[in-house]
Amino acid sequence: MSLLLVGVNHRTAPVEVRERLSVLESQLSESIRSLHAQPGVDGASVISTCNRVETVVSAATEDVIRQLVEWLAERAGANATDLEKHVYVLRHADVVKHLFRVASGLDSMIVGEPQIHGQVRQAFATSQELGTLDPLLQQLFEQTMRVAKKVRTETGIGEHAVSVPYAAVELAKKIFGDLRGLTVLLLGAGEMAELTAEHLSAHEVRHVFVANRSHDRAVELARRYHGDAIHFDAAESYLATCDIVVASTAAPHHVIVAEHVHRAFANRKNRNLFLIDLSVPRNIDPAIARIEGAYLYNIDDLQHVVEANRDQRQQKADQAEELVLREVESFRKRLVAQDAVPTILELQQRLEAIRAAELEACLRRVGPITAEQRTAIEMLSTRMINKILHYPILQLKEAAADEPQERESLRRTIRKIFGLR
Amino acid sequence: MTLSPNAALYIALAFYAAGTLAALVSLWSRERRLQSAGLWLMIAGFVSHTIWIGSVCVRTGHPPLTNLPEASSFVAWTVFAVELGLFIRYRVHAASFFVFPLVLLLLTITALVHEPFTRMDPQLRSRVFIAHLLFSTLGVAALMIGIAFTVLAYVQDRALKQKRPGRLWDWIPSLDICRRVSYRALAVGFPIYTVGLIAGVLWSYRTTAGLMELRVKSVGAVVAWVLFALLLQSYITGIFRGRRTLLVSAGAFVAALVAMLGISHV
Repeated sequence: MSLLLVGVNHRTAPVEVRERLSVLESQLSESIRSLHAQPGVDGASVISTCNRVETVVSAATEDVIRQLVEWLAERAGANATDLEKHVYVLRHADVVKHLFRVASGLDSMIVGEPQIHGQVRQAFATSQELGTLDPLLQQLFEQTMRVAKKVRTETGIGEHAVSVPYAAVELAKKIFGDLRGLTVLLLGAGEMAELTAEHLSAHEVRHVFVANRSHDRAVELARRYHGDAIHFDAAESYLATCDIVVASTAAPHHVIVAEHVHRAFANRKNRNLFLIDLSVPRNIDPAIARIEGAYLYNIDDLQHVVEANRDQRQQKADQAEELVLREVESFRKRLVAQDAVPTILELQQRLEAIRAAELEACLRRVGPITAEQRTAIEMLSTRMINKILHYPILQLKEAAADEPQERESLRRTIRKIFGLR
Repeated sequence: MTLSPNAALYIALAFYAAGTLAALVSLWSRERRLQSAGLWLMIAGFVSHTIWIGSVCVRTGHPPLTNLPEASSFVAWTVFAVELGLFIRYRVHAASFFVFPLVLLLLTITALVHEPFTRMDPQLRSRVFIAHLLFSTLGVAALMIGIAFTVLAYVQDRALKQKRPGRLWDWIPSLDICRRVSYRALAVGFPIYTVGLIAGVLWSYRTTAGLMELRVKSVGAVVAWVLFALLLQSYITGIFRGRRTLLVSAGAFVAALVAMLGISHV
């Protein structure tokens, strides 16, 4: 049985090619069904994200590879020969390793990103629902999900933010824990501030106030985050009630100064205040960083956090790669051991048949004996058979570590010696 | 073969030592599995510790609080039980770097100070006395937890202020959780400790006809109470956020230890 993967990703194909191949969520079932219907394909699944489209199949022979490329080309409305230069083909253990790495986020553009885990799980669930997974692919996907989870929990690869807005949210969590119930003040409407506000909104902050020189723009933004627009000049009075302030205005001077924060703290009942200054020139007076309970981060501080996190992710990615390699080896051994199962079963059945027949003949010759005597003779014969079988079975199982040719040669020898068909 | 009556104590000590070592090594290696292994070893130690405490109760017929080794062991047991509860609730890994060594230290005191398990003088036994022992020990345990989380809050605050995440960054929960747990431990522990202290004064008055003997133990207990109050007040008013809170915490910790080291009621 061959395990094959044919696909394109962000490293092998430009976006013009990937977008033509990409499978929308609504089309996933139809695509998997169509792939499974290809002649010679036993099990099939399709993984599609913005960075990759991959077909994973199990088949009796590798002859289906050409067919898979043609299937992809047909979907892209392209010539198979033209598409071939963007396509990669993986076989057997390489497929296992690749899937483990993809689901763990190790093959992603942003190493450790968490979405891919969900996308692989969706491909698995859809294929399972459609019944397009044969036992081999079923095992592979189950193990892939387990390995991906293990990589995340054991290495913590996805834990550190690698974008400025996300880093700001992570810092807010380090200060406040749960962001639900917090109030955010958005000063100005810079692109980065908007992104940060979007991330904060996604964490269900209680309320967002937006202040901008152009009040219409503030109203528009406030509507997007289900918040309230306030007049720019009134923003200072909101410092006492807000927990997070995101500043990103075009003002060439400090919009929030230390005195404002001192005044706000008089009414804050010791609650912390997180100030994020994304503007250049800076809008928040750096002296505020010295006030107890106020935590000020500017764009450079956030960039440093992101860079440090990237380094950390890389270190964790190295740990994750080692873990993946160990898991690939263990999965391979499991598959090989399963390969030996039919031979082991046949061996046991054959010797058991001999034992039963010989025992019966012997008992006929001996004549009447007691039940205890019969049990003793049966036990003796069973033990002898088990001892004879012990080493051949052990050899078959341990051959998992050998080269395929050696494994096959051992299997044939054992079958020949014991007269198995 | 007869088993030493303290076998469970030594087993607990061995597990605590291994658990503490694993936790401290995980601080450097940042290996999550090691951290989990450390916690499981500590839990195994806690089970053995519980068995030992139970056996002492059976042998002596009173709560294991009447001398230094017993009280030290009970504080360690309570501190770990609370830490376990907090871990389940908040998944606070970092507290283990302070709590595990503290538990190990307290139980080492128990193992090193060999005092015989004698039955208490019946004249000394009274409800007031039992209340004194129980409440002051629980109060000290709460104080220890409060201090551990005050230290965590300080470390987290410095890391955020200086924008330099240290080794504990990933293990410490949010600043809010650290302060909330610390405040709750102090707010719950302070009245308990106060009741324990008052009960001690009453018992002392009944047995020695004086309100308090001026011994190191008594001075330590009163100083710990004052610093305990100061810490709690700092949380309520929001002052002493930084280094001063840490100094008060260290003072309270030392005073509580001094008070415990002087315990002998048999």
